[in-house]
Amino acid sequence: MCTNHTGILNLDLTCRMLAGFQDYFGRYIDLADEDIRLLSGLFETRIYDKKVRIVEMGEVDQYLSYVIKGLLRKYFVRDKEEVITQIIKEGEIVVSSVSYFSGNPSRYVVETIEPTTVVSITYANLEKLFSMGDKWEKMGRLMMADFLVQKEYWLLDNINYSPRQRFFRFIKEQPELLKRVPQKWLASYLNIKPETFSRLKLLAGGNGNGVDSEGKIEKLTR
Amino acid sequence: MNQIDNAYYPYVQANLQRFFPVNEEQSKFLMPYLKVRQFDKKTIILNEGEVEQHLSMVVKGLVRKYVKKSKKDTTLQLATEGHLIDSEISYLRREPSPVIIETIEPSILVSITYDDMQEVLEKMPGANKMGRLLLTAMFMKKDERLYKQLQLSTRERFLEYIQNHPHMLQRVPQKYLASYLNIKPETFSRLKHLIRKQSA
Repeated sequence: MCTNHTGILNLDLTCRMLAGFQDYFGRYIDLADEDIRLLSGLFETRIYDKKVRIVEMGEVDQYLSYVIKGLLRKYFVRDKEEVITQIIKEGEIVVSSVSYFSGNPSRYVVETIEPTTVVSITYANLEKLFSMGDKWEKMGRLMMADFLVQKEYWLLDNINYSPRQRFFRFIKEQPELLKRVPQKWLASYLNIKPETFSRLKLLAGGNGNGVDSEGKIEKLTR
Repeated sequence: MNQIDNAYYPYVQANLQRFFPVNEEQSKFLMPYLKVRQFDKKTIILNEGEVEQHLSMVVKGLVRKYVKKSKKDTTLQLATEGHLIDSEISYLRREPSPVIIETIEPSILVSITYDDMQEVLEKMPGANKMGRLLLTAMFMKKDERLYKQLQLSTRERFLEYIQNHPHMLQRVPQKYLASYLNIKPETFSRLKHLIRKQSA
């Protein structure tokens, strides 16, 4: 769908958006070109600078967003300390989910880490989409199943793995985030004490080489 | 495993209505797919490593979902009458279960197998929407619990739970409750004595 469009200013953004729909929603149901067009009409593009709060605590989150570019974090505040529960990058969905689905005030802040571009859908438009046919309901069902499964995995990881194991699993699965996310936030997200985090990072040689998924050091490089 | 009969169906139907509206037609469609399962107390319904075949509603009794660890178990869910219970990851992804599901009291569950669920999703009008609303509700409940675990202090978690589930203190062995609330057993005892004194 992105071919033969020349001279359009936001070509890159549009192409990324269309590819994003195919990538994200296309994993749940088959999407024809007309479906992608339908989605495009229901989503809006939002562009943010870094360190911008896109959802405040206490306000209702109006948008479910697909991240085209950038990086965000979701957190709540406990005793003046920010507790990060999610780090969201390109190709992922960001939403203060309970607020969005229930209409209740958000208990979380959603804030950009890097300059970020998202495409977003309001709850009203999402409901409109669901009402447009059973395949969209099916997509919604499968998406919610993924949300549920991901939450359960996060919970189980925190129970089953030690801080050390969580650290090494993380840098194995998402090594690039070690560079993109400030250390204190990663430590908070992984529920690891900052000093432990520093020590583990040093142990991993800064980039996690030479460790297996269990967090055992196979080969120490120094 | 028995076909569900009239004794339980109205109860199940009423509880499903909490998640989504069920019309007469859907109700008739759904009923033959639901099975009644009865278990004695302290019976493992699903072991770690098995693939979960059932999404169940507790009609009577008390069921615990937990992770077994070498040092101590971690209780993830205590399901009583009207609650849904399954090993979600295993049921939805068809993977070996990371959790164990075990009865605490003699329990009666009304269940739908994964295969039957797929048939319902394919054949029953409105089933995808029901599934979506059910999963949304389950997701929000999980998020709510996670948030409370992280946000509330030990004392707050205890008081909040006891206030909302006063009968559970009698029904659930203390070590399971303490584990569910992520409170050390000795702290749990202390908090329990504290509220006894206050109410005396």
